Amino acid sequence: MTVQPKARHRTQLVLMHPVVFLGAWVLLGTVLALQDWINLHRWGYHISFVIELEAWDMEFLIFGILSFLMWRFAGTFIQNGRLGRVLAAAFPLSVAVSVLKEMTFVLFFPNLPLNRPHMSYWERLQFHLYANVVNDMVIFWCSVFLFRGLGYYQRSLKSENIAAQLEVQLSNARLSALRMQLNPHFLFNAMNSISSLMRTDVDAADEMLEQLSSLLRISLERGSAQLIPLSDEIEFIEVYLSMQDRRYSDRIRRRVTVDPELYDVLVPAMILQPIVENAYVHGLSKIEKNGDLLIEVHRQQSYVEFTITNSGVGLIASSQKPSGHGVGISNLCNRLRLHYGEKGSFELTQLDSNLVRVRIRFPIQTSDGHSEHPTRFGAE
Amino acid sequence: MIQVVLADDEVLARQKLRQLLREERDIEVAGECATASETIELVRLVKPNILFLDIRMPGMDGFDVIGALSEDRLPMPAIIFTTAYDQYALRAFEVHAVDYLLKPFTAERLHTAIYRVREGALANESAMGSSEVDADALGPATRIVFKSRGRILFLPVAEIRWVVAEENYVRLCTAQDTHLLRETMSHLETRLDPQMFLRVHRSYIVNLNHVKEVRTEQNGESIVVMNDGHKLAMSRGYRSRILESMRR
Repeated sequence: MTVQPKARHRTQLVLMHPVVFLGAWVLLGTVLALQDWINLHRWGYHISFVIELEAWDMEFLIFGILSFLMWRFAGTFIQNGRLGRVLAAAFPLSVAVSVLKEMTFVLFFPNLPLNRPHMSYWERLQFHLYANVVNDMVIFWCSVFLFRGLGYYQRSLKSENIAAQLEVQLSNARLSALRMQLNPHFLFNAMNSISSLMRTDVDAADEMLEQLSSLLRISLERGSAQLIPLSDEIEFIEVYLSMQDRRYSDRIRRRVTVDPELYDVLVPAMILQPIVENAYVHGLSKIEKNGDLLIEVHRQQSYVEFTITNSGVGLIASSQKPSGHGVGISNLCNRLRLHYGEKGSFELTQLDSNLVRVRIRFPIQTSDGHSEHPTRFGAE
Repeated sequence: MIQVVLADDEVLARQKLRQLLREERDIEVAGECATASETIELVRLVKPNILFLDIRMPGMDGFDVIGALSEDRLPMPAIIFTTAYDQYALRAFEVHAVDYLLKPFTAERLHTAIYRVREGALANESAMGSSEVDADALGPATRIVFKSRGRILFLPVAEIRWVVAEENYVRLCTAQDTHLLRETMSHLETRLDPQMFLRVHRSYIVNLNHVKEVRTEQNGESIVVMNDGHKLAMSRGYRSRILESMRR
């Protein structure tokens, strides 16, 4: 999104590189010399092309240098100054530049105009000024307007760039804010559980602390990545589930089934945790025994489909409703929308009086480079 | 008695280790140190069997300690790293550390680390401090380092019971756990000792030390039964190979 304007920005700067800029002026001089020479030929004046070329190229080179100096020293003013002030300042400057240009030119070509009796420097200057002053002023003003135009162009590129960046920043900020809301909530609950276990079962508290550290490590390692490989998300949810095992002991049978071909598919980070947490809080925690939690990830054509089914008390008995559910779930829906637009979907269904199913679908996107999990073999 | 030295700049960290080690009857804490230079001195003095080593300490770090000790040409203690940082795992693996405990660790995790020392999974002290191991150049792998569920594991391959292929990943199954690694079956097969591991199926490698029997079911399919009762399918093509290996 931001790459293209940058590239255009660079080509524009290339134009103002001294070699390119002066080269363009000399090229213009050459073309005009050729035109003048052909014209004179047609009217029967035979002048050496070399002299023509020298004179025209030198004239335009001087112009090039003068306007390049103008760009260097007054470019910012011409580009950004108020138009009235620029014009007011450019008027006397145009006269000065024209005279300066002719003075330099006359210095280099003492034998011009050709075939005239000897003329002093001042006479020749006078001659050239009479002949060229209007041309010189026109060219000068062309330079001024060229620089002014470049300024407008540059500014419009800049604002385009900023707008694009803002858009990216905004959606990043939105996404990370949403992700942050998922984490602390869960973090404090876990710490509370540890605080409680600490008094009754030190080993269990120790274990839960280790698991919580694992979860934190995994999330820290992800950094601000919004999309992560499914294998990482599954790893995270497995640690989360083993933490929950401690709290719900043997009351819940759980199973995670993933199509191995989907392990490298990119999924929004923390997509499963809020749903699984909901399954525990609103469903599984309400039943005495034989709770079931089933997490499946399968492929449906070009979509990846998460299905989380849990037993419990059902939607009506719990506060869980398709609309107006917890902040975690509505965040998740927002993130799906931001990432996938219309192509992502979230659906909460009551299958049975005590069976609830969440289904999430979004298009398959595969990561190319894989995360750097250190796996190495060692031999003694 | 197994003599151990605890090196950590945090007193609470040393206290935790001391407390947990009390439950291991054959272990005696010979001393504690809070800096790298103290550690080098103390290890030279008491020549412990195990050194619990924090990586980040004031002044020199844990790797400097190992560097200094390996210049002594004395038997090195078995190193067990204890650290809050996971990014040094590969380096620790390469200097032949026995284990890498990420803080906070559980008593059980510590116990596993000590068990590894006792088992002598890495007993050959001559290897300590020698040049780094590059697995592909040397013989079969004796252990694998990887990250699994927020833990760092230096897993002796002998603890792998069987391996299941899952597309671009393999699942290593041990007595208590399974670990998903991004690794291909064929590469893993070349890295494992053929005396110990056998490919019995496109998707399975088994550790022969954990195989109970090979059986033909009533439908004519062959299966491998593991010591823990787990059954794995076997391809016909691999049948003669496994029978031959079992006879050895």
